[in-house]
Amino acid sequence: MRNVTRRWAAALGTVLVVLVAAACGSSSSSSGGSSGGSSNQGSSTSTSTAPTAGPGLTSATAPSGARQSGGTVYYTEGAGATPNYIFPMTSAQVCGTQNISQFNAILYRPLFWYGNDYKPTIDYSYSIGQQPTFSDNNQTVTIKLNPWKWSNGETVTSRDVMFWINLYKADPGKNYCGYVPGYFPDNVTSVDAPNAQTVVLHLNKSYNPEWFTYNELSQIYPIPLAWDRTSLSQPAPTSDNGHLPDATKSGAENVYKFLDAQSKDLGTWASSPLWSVVDGPFKLQSFTTTGQVTLVPNTDYSGTPKPTISKFVELPFTSDAAIFNEIRSGGPSAITIGNLPSAYAPQTSTVEGEGYVLNRAASYSFNYFPFNLNNPKVGPIFMQLYFRQAFQHLIDQQGWIHAFLHDTAIPTYGPVPVSPESPLASVNASTNPYTFSTQSAATILSSHGWKVAPNGTTTCEHPGTAATECGAGIASGEGISFNIDYQSGVAAIESEMNDLAAQAKRVGININLTTHPFTTVIGTAIACQPSQADCAWTAENWGAGWIYAPDFLPTGESLFGNGAVANYESYADPQANQLIGATITGPAAGEAQALSNYAQYIEQQVPVVFGPTSIGSYQGDAGTLVAKNLGGYAANAFGYMLPEDWYFTK
Amino acid sequence: MTGFIIRRLGEAIVVVLGVTIITFVLLHLLPGSLARDILGNRASPQAIAAFNKENGLNTPVWNQYWLFLDKLLHGNLGYSFQYNRSVDSLLASELPRDLVLGGLSLIFSLAIAIPIGVAQAVRRNGALDYAGTGVSFVLYSMPQYAIALLLIQFLAISFHVFPAEAPQSASAIGMLEHPSGLVLPVAALTLVTYALFSRYMRSSAIDTLAQDYIRTARAKGLPERLVLTRHLLRNSLIAVVTLVGLSIPTILTGTLIIEQVFNYPGAGLEYFNAALRNDYEVMLGITVLVGVVTVLGNLLADIGYAILDPRIRY
Repeated sequence: MRNVTRRWAAALGTVLVVLVAAACGSSSSSSGGSSGGSSNQGSSTSTSTAPTAGPGLTSATAPSGARQSGGTVYYTEGAGATPNYIFPMTSAQVCGTQNISQFNAILYRPLFWYGNDYKPTIDYSYSIGQQPTFSDNNQTVTIKLNPWKWSNGETVTSRDVMFWINLYKADPGKNYCGYVPGYFPDNVTSVDAPNAQTVVLHLNKSYNPEWFTYNELSQIYPIPLAWDRTSLSQPAPTSDNGHLPDATKSGAENVYKFLDAQSKDLGTWASSPLWSVVDGPFKLQSFTTTGQVTLVPNTDYSGTPKPTISKFVELPFTSDAAIFNEIRSGGPSAITIGNLPSAYAPQTSTVEGEGYVLNRAASYSFNYFPFNLNNPKVGPIFMQLYFRQAFQHLIDQQGWIHAFLHDTAIPTYGPVPVSPESPLASVNASTNPYTFSTQSAATILSSHGWKVAPNGTTTCEHPGTAATECGAGIASGEGISFNIDYQSGVAAIESEMNDLAAQAKRVGININLTTHPFTTVIGTAIACQPSQADCAWTAENWGAGWIYAPDFLPTGESLFGNGAVANYESYADPQANQLIGATITGPAAGEAQALSNYAQYIEQQVPVVFGPTSIGSYQGDAGTLVAKNLGGYAANAFGYMLPEDWYFTK
Repeated sequence: MTGFIIRRLGEAIVVVLGVTIITFVLLHLLPGSLARDILGNRASPQAIAAFNKENGLNTPVWNQYWLFLDKLLHGNLGYSFQYNRSVDSLLASELPRDLVLGGLSLIFSLAIAIPIGVAQAVRRNGALDYAGTGVSFVLYSMPQYAIALLLIQFLAISFHVFPAEAPQSASAIGMLEHPSGLVLPVAALTLVTYALFSRYMRSSAIDTLAQDYIRTARAKGLPERLVLTRHLLRNSLIAVVTLVGLSIPTILTGTLIIEQVFNYPGAGLEYFNAALRNDYEVMLGITVLVGVVTVLGNLLADIGYAILDPRIRY
């Protein structure tokens, strides 16, 4: 009996310790005010409200203390997202924020700079190129360059721009992630350099100047002639002697291959004679194989302002938990700028109280997931406009944002981002044309020949192609059942999809849910023909939608045009093609109207399912934490950074 | 013994070969395509075709496996498209760090678990035994994640005693130069491992205490200290040696949670990330490595048995 009592005492003690530990654990990751479910389970209609996220820091932070010179800014890279490519002609393989906006754009200044002060517009004061002029019925573009210098003393010239275009054209795989077939540089028939500070592009037809400036010129980085070689043993050219390798297509291809290989040799970056030639405000001091980047000011930087801080360190992290723990723990290398993972959004006030300002900026993006309109089985249903509109009524965006996304997302009803607002794309994208309403969805289906069976299987009662019938390719008695495959491991997406399946069931639509890793989901969603084996997918939700970069104008040539590179759903609509074309080739003064027409049509057409767009530099962030003693920091609409603006205060 | 080792090494080659075949086939049964995964959602069909051709992915699977084996025999574990690095260099930079983490925690956990396990066995059903059992159960039942977060919350965030993350040096020696950063990750892993070892040690020691030779040693008047160290400890260690042998692969790749929470990039996390990103060659490289290490771990355990118990012959 004595032993039994002791055992019970030991067990009880164990349980108590576990409970205490669990309580302590939960206190560090409390779920905040989340209701844990969709806020609207019924068929009621929710009203449209203003975006719950934002605004970003539309003007630079300006702490009240005395401005200091020097100091080290510590920045959190995304979890598992460390730079792995330094050559700014970033291939699709390595096309990520960690390589472009947070790394090589700081070392090598693009021809034009976009997105300052949370505006998705160009900023010539930070650009090498002056405002381009369009002539010859917008078929000729003339760009004058500001007199910037490379860190090796050479001048940034028009030849450096031509060097970039030569490599871009020569790359046989067209690897650069900004490439859209048929557009830049395919649409450039020739390039002239009448003098060292002027570049002239001759185009194959007339293009809208704003579109060309935001989606084509945005892809150009001047690169130094010191890179125009095919081995490190060759001397670095300092001027064009007329025989540089990039002058011929085969020579340019060899230079591209050489630079690509050098860029993949991560261990040599900091000591490379190539990558040390920069025109940006900072240069690379060191790079560790774990992904830690240390940048120091480029003392030969030509732009203004000149860097004030003495060092900018980008720190690698293995997980969101590690990021959050490091932000909270402080220490000698306390995080100065940190991306707050959305899972920790409920603890925002705690972190802000520890010396941070939260920048709730969104990236210029929109979230969606596609149906496969060419699926041999349910494609005919997805092809029906009324079905897509009815389905969009099942998306409870406000409920999802509040319940699953901790109010750190923006309702999204079309392809033009709502936040940050663009003067070039002033569409009324804040009004939901398909408010959440299962009743509306049921009514639409009923009026198109379907017998709606709540919590059962809705079936086609009136097959045919008349306005009140189910539509072409849909047989009598056919039900609506399909699969949605979504990214695994993200609680918010899982909750959203479960809610969507539940709401769909209320109108007799049976959704089977499956999960896969991000890369599998996005890799499965491909444009296809019904006869192809890989056309069996029905809907794929990778959770990150589309980010506009380096095509900074939200036009649809990559997304919804017939045969576009990211038209995974195989949407083909002549009017959409015509409206997209109008945004590309229309007159200069008509761009805003053309964009508005395009956006409204796509909103009405819902070729894809629109869902809430998360804020933050990385998808899924709750925002960016900025130390209260850091001045000069402002949000950039495209996630770029200007560390030359930053300074510490006492 | 030499013959045994040679025979076991021969078996190891067959085992590792089998592991590579199974892993290779399973990886190629996964949905999606590597080119799509790597090049992303903006890749043109031309870029995908060029990628497949460049990497031999447009050839039959058996041919791809043969290419993999050929590279493996030349010491080339492949290339990580996600990291833009060779798998060899990836593992060369991460395995030493894993050895530091896993090795230190193994040493500390054994150093704590063995004496406590023996003490619990000797004082069976006493206060010390119950306390030790309670602590072991708590630690064993708690997820690694919870232990790690508790340590960070109290010792890094609340009281700022130790850093919340491991040293970020790229080399193992560099990490050892910042021991304060190693305290929490090593402690978290030690606590979990200790719980396992101490239970086995206690159980094994209890069994050994019931053996005739212990009774004989005591009857002959041998001091208790010598009974415990010479007779009990050595004979009780066989079970623990088995566990240590089996845990050697875990040292290299089984610290995923600790690596995640303490910002400690290592091979375990690498494997997990590679699986998420369909980075086949990283997965294959680590699988081959773990296969080799598992066989070697078992071999070392077998050798350990012979050293601990002279009656064991191979």
